[in-house]
Amino acid sequence: MARMKFICDTERCIECNGCVTACKNENEVPWGVNRRRVVTVNDGIIGQEKSVSVACMHCSDAPCMAVCPVDCFYRTDEGVVLHDKDICIGCGYCSFACPFGAPQFLSKGAFGVRSKMDKCTFCSGGPEVNGSVAEFEKYGRNRLAEGKLPLCAEMCSTKALIGGDSEIISSIYSKRVAVRESNGKYAGSNIFGWSTAYGPSGSPAPTPTPADKIPGAKS
Amino acid sequence: MKLNFKTLGVCLVAGVLLAACSEPPVIAATASKRPDVAPYMGADNGFMTKGWTPGDRGSWMEAINKRNQNQSEYLRVK
Repeated sequence: MARMKFICDTERCIECNGCVTACKNENEVPWGVNRRRVVTVNDGIIGQEKSVSVACMHCSDAPCMAVCPVDCFYRTDEGVVLHDKDICIGCGYCSFACPFGAPQFLSKGAFGVRSKMDKCTFCSGGPEVNGSVAEFEKYGRNRLAEGKLPLCAEMCSTKALIGGDSEIISSIYSKRVAVRESNGKYAGSNIFGWSTAYGPSGSPAPTPTPADKIPGAKS
Repeated sequence: MKLNFKTLGVCLVAGVLLAACSEPPVIAATASKRPDVAPYMGADNGFMTKGWTPGDRGSWMEAINKRNQNQSEYLRVK
């Protein structure tokens, strides 16, 4: 079964923020919440400026799943990390645990009151009926069930952001690096640790580490 | 007799306060995870792509992988 992942090619990303706009429009993400962001380092330094589009990376052993006190997260057979907003209590633990800043909360009024967590769903909705209005209102579009891939990746003008089955997108990226090397250009970072992080081809998605295996954790 | 009224009052107040102890716990555990429908089952809307059969995992995978390969311009532009 596919393991859905994103890769962003920093040699191609031009910080156009098209992916951010596409995500917000496609999923009607409210003002104040960005499921995807473009991060730029060395801004303005000629030759050293690099941009990368960041959202939920749908980790194989997701820390958000491990820390959620109400266990609202689940992983689909495609390796997509999703959550049930009917269970989420908006505590924010997941946002502290996530190394990518993927979990987002809508600020609602005074005293720091915030909404339930919202994050990238790899355009695959939530536990509601596929393609239903209820699913769209809570989680956005379910493009996977329509036979499509996430819009941010599909509409990327430079194809810096690619998303889909990890085996396929890693092979696409590796070919790019090889072509750049053969053309005498700066090749950029190659993929390393891909199979270590996600397992060899055809391996099932790992489940989170049980609490009894973690020293000091309560089961 | 006056002391008895006072004792009775204390007992009533304590009874009211302790009544909360008999409340059934209302916790988030009442909300349980619902099973999600796999994407290869298709979506009930008018935005489905053609070329695969909803409910057939193999055809969905084939369609998705084909679409996935289209992200490589080396394959698209020949």
